[in-house]
Amino acid sequence: MIRDVMNISRCKKNIFRIFAALFFILAGKTAYCGSGGVIETYKNATAPFDDEKLVDPMLSFSDHLVLVNIKYQGGKFWTRTRKDKIERFKCSKCHNNQDVNRPEAAKIAHGDIRLVHGGQEKPLQCFTCHNKDDRDFLVTEKGVIIDMDHSYKLCGQCHFRQKKDWVGGAHGKRVSYWAGKRVVRNCTSCHNPHSPRFKKRWPATYSHPLD
Amino acid sequence: MTHKSSTPGRGLIAFIKDVITWNLSGGLAYQFFLCILAAFMMLGIYAYLVQFKIGLGVTNMSNIVSWGLYISNFTFFVGVAAAAVMLILPAYIFKDKDLHKVVIIGEGVAVGALVMCLLFIIADLGGPLNAWHLIPGIGILNWPSSLLAWDIIVINGYLALNLLVPFYIIYCHYNNRAPNENKYRPFIFLSIFWAFAIHMITAFLYEGLPARPFWNNPLMGPRFLASAFAAGPALISVVLIIIDTATTFKINSKIFNKLRLIIVVSAIINLIMLFSEVFKEFYFTTHHSLSAVYLFFGLDGYDALVPWIWTAISMNILGTVILAFNPGKNKPFVLLPACVLLFTGIWIEKGMGLIIPGLVPSPLGEIVDYAPSWVEVSITLGILAFGIFVVTFLIKPAIIIEQRFEEDRRLH
Amino acid sequence: MDIRKNNENKNQKESSPNQTTDKKKKFGRRDFLKGAAKAAALGSVAMASGCGTALLPSKEERELRWKEYFKKNYRLMTVSEKEETVRRLERLAKIKKDVSIQMSSKAAIPGVLYGYAFNVTRCEGFMECVAACVKENNLDRKSKTQYIRIFEMEPGEMAPAAGNGKYFHEVPVEGHFYMGAQCFHCENPPCVKACPTKATWKEPDGIVVVDYNWCIGCRYCMAACPYYGRRFNWHDPEVPAKEMTKKQHYLGNRMRARGQMEKCTFCVQRTREGRLPACVEACPTGARVFGNLLDPKSEIRFVLKNKKVFRLKEELTTDPKFWYFID
Repeated sequence: MIRDVMNISRCKKNIFRIFAALFFILAGKTAYCGSGGVIETYKNATAPFDDEKLVDPMLSFSDHLVLVNIKYQGGKFWTRTRKDKIERFKCSKCHNNQDVNRPEAAKIAHGDIRLVHGGQEKPLQCFTCHNKDDRDFLVTEKGVIIDMDHSYKLCGQCHFRQKKDWVGGAHGKRVSYWAGKRVVRNCTSCHNPHSPRFKKRWPATYSHPLD
Repeated sequence: MTHKSSTPGRGLIAFIKDVITWNLSGGLAYQFFLCILAAFMMLGIYAYLVQFKIGLGVTNMSNIVSWGLYISNFTFFVGVAAAAVMLILPAYIFKDKDLHKVVIIGEGVAVGALVMCLLFIIADLGGPLNAWHLIPGIGILNWPSSLLAWDIIVINGYLALNLLVPFYIIYCHYNNRAPNENKYRPFIFLSIFWAFAIHMITAFLYEGLPARPFWNNPLMGPRFLASAFAAGPALISVVLIIIDTATTFKINSKIFNKLRLIIVVSAIINLIMLFSEVFKEFYFTTHHSLSAVYLFFGLDGYDALVPWIWTAISMNILGTVILAFNPGKNKPFVLLPACVLLFTGIWIEKGMGLIIPGLVPSPLGEIVDYAPSWVEVSITLGILAFGIFVVTFLIKPAIIIEQRFEEDRRLH
Repeated sequence: MDIRKNNENKNQKESSPNQTTDKKKKFGRRDFLKGAAKAAALGSVAMASGCGTALLPSKEERELRWKEYFKKNYRLMTVSEKEETVRRLERLAKIKKDVSIQMSSKAAIPGVLYGYAFNVTRCEGFMECVAACVKENNLDRKSKTQYIRIFEMEPGEMAPAAGNGKYFHEVPVEGHFYMGAQCFHCENPPCVKACPTKATWKEPDGIVVVDYNWCIGCRYCMAACPYYGRRFNWHDPEVPAKEMTKKQHYLGNRMRARGQMEKCTFCVQRTREGRLPACVEACPTGARVFGNLLDPKSEIRFVLKNKKVFRLKEELTTDPKFWYFID
């Protein structure tokens, strides 16, 4: 009988030991999982990432690109060109000193343009941005001549906050790749410069009822 | 019982043979009972084949309500299985002679419940043929990280304990010798711990999910235990009443009284905890209470569970009150409906009433109603029938052997 | 093979339902005649390979399926075993659906931890991201599975639960803003902790992935996810061969089967080659920023440094790698 009791108590003790051990293992594991966090991880990552070496150099762009002449976090970046996407560039082909021999030529050439830019109190006009003297170029308020491929400089004179975000990467978007050489869309790749706000439209799809 | 007079041979093969013959022979009512069980099992198998072939899409579960009737029943029957400890504990620790007699029946019920639990899990798996991925060695068991891994271990362990110990005792009695208590007592004690463990761990399965505020509630474990210790003994009482009326194995009314006391205490604790939960959810209703609002009153016009939960709570309270005041003085005709009321009430409340609102509204706020499809209902009925079959299959020979053993003892 | 015939058939819409019902009948009869054991064996093969359309699989197909059924968890496979299973899956896709896919098992790029930022101000609810995601990731067209959800929100609240995820009208609507939610690729993912078979895990580049073949379909991860980031295949998913994205990854957009869990993988098949996820590339408003968190000159780091960002349900310490910010 005494042996029975001892057997039982030994058995009980062992069970308690096993449970205690398991408890500590579990507690330790849980505590370990909770430490650090992703914010700590990325804050500690200061070494530059070598795109060239780590990502296949096969990344290619079909688009015409132009080097942005602003530094991006100490590095170079590219943006899409604009001039090759304008139907009748160069503008000076028409906008020269020769006489216009067709009536309504302006309507035929630019009739599709609706200028909805700048708000109702102070709407923009053609020559707010276009250079009156040399139609192939844009011009800022201060009279700086700007190439059409580098329109971000022109937009940036008012939308300076967006420009800062665009240079950094919080506004606009990269083209195709997150790695490799940084290529971003130009302002005019997404926004129609004459009416930059996106038009209302139907969504591409909808969420299926869930039941 | 006609088999008593026959003198069966001894040994393992004879044992198995006898068990099978005893189980298959019986009166017309018994045969009819087996036929009904078989019919439900066939229905379940058919429904499962449909589900197996087409996929879980034949159920009414969705990405929002991703667990339904199967897991609800699984959760509830884990509790029923754990409740066998309410007989083992007094019988072996407090040396209660009355309950000692019916321990074997409690264990039989536990085995039946565990088998049902495992079947419900298998029915719920999307890839049942991949279940071997869980077996350590050929597969990977994500232990100790996943609580489901813990649950698999404890449920299978408890099943093994509840099969082995009673088998040893019964087998010894069959061979007309007293079982060596030293051999099985450690396992009895282990099974007591284990019973609490299976239920706590099943509760932790839900309790450990911060994604679901309705479940992420420290009262979950204790409340699981309280409700299980009410529902389990209630079911055992029902089984005992059936045995008492249908067989020559007579149950002392003292046993019913003791079981009744266990049930009443557990049911009252359960109701107090329910009240505490309801208070927490509704005194200052937060976003985390939306599941409870959905459960008790409906949300945005979705109210599939509302009638169920109020029925369950009414049954719960009514059953508890009847059992507490005991107007029938432990007579079966009062005890039986009261136990059935309490059992059904807890079944609804701790089954669907626990699982579905945990998933609704979804983490992103979507609300979807859920009602089981015919496939789910059929499979569930099939599994229940199989569970009842297992219980019958275990208890019937056990009773015969026990009676014979006792008679032999008396003669010598 | 059947699909090719269907394609040849001009009355495709009329013929295909008949064919499928015929198939079902035949299949069912076979099951019952040959008994439960055989049915299970047949089913196992069908299950493992994720398709039950072919009635009498060829010897080659049977062998491939057999090997597929008994393969290891992806993380335990050696490089050559990964290569073998990828070739097997390519071959099976060719045999069963007559699609030539190119599957990759490319590992994570060292020194990369992916991060994502969502500009709440910029999103206008066009749902181009959702459509692109469905296409790129071969999501089930039948049940219309979507990984991304966009909520139309009224000012005053910042939790998607308060928004309307079922809108379908011209967008953007005045006085509303839009907020997307998808898998947030937590650094401390509750789903990974929950999985009983280690069928889901966090890759070294931070992407939470699922080994579809290892998944047993218990859906515990789904219950554990506080962001509704996971989707389950209740039926066999259907993607027309023509619309299928052929460039696939084992952990990404390869075809799933019924009974398997799936989720957003930040388009692992694209991102590991340096490309942007489909949703980022498709976004017409530039509301989505993606990049390497470990690269101090990445765009995502710029956003985290210069913008006021927040994450959903931060109190759960799941530590998502998906931030929201406001211009």
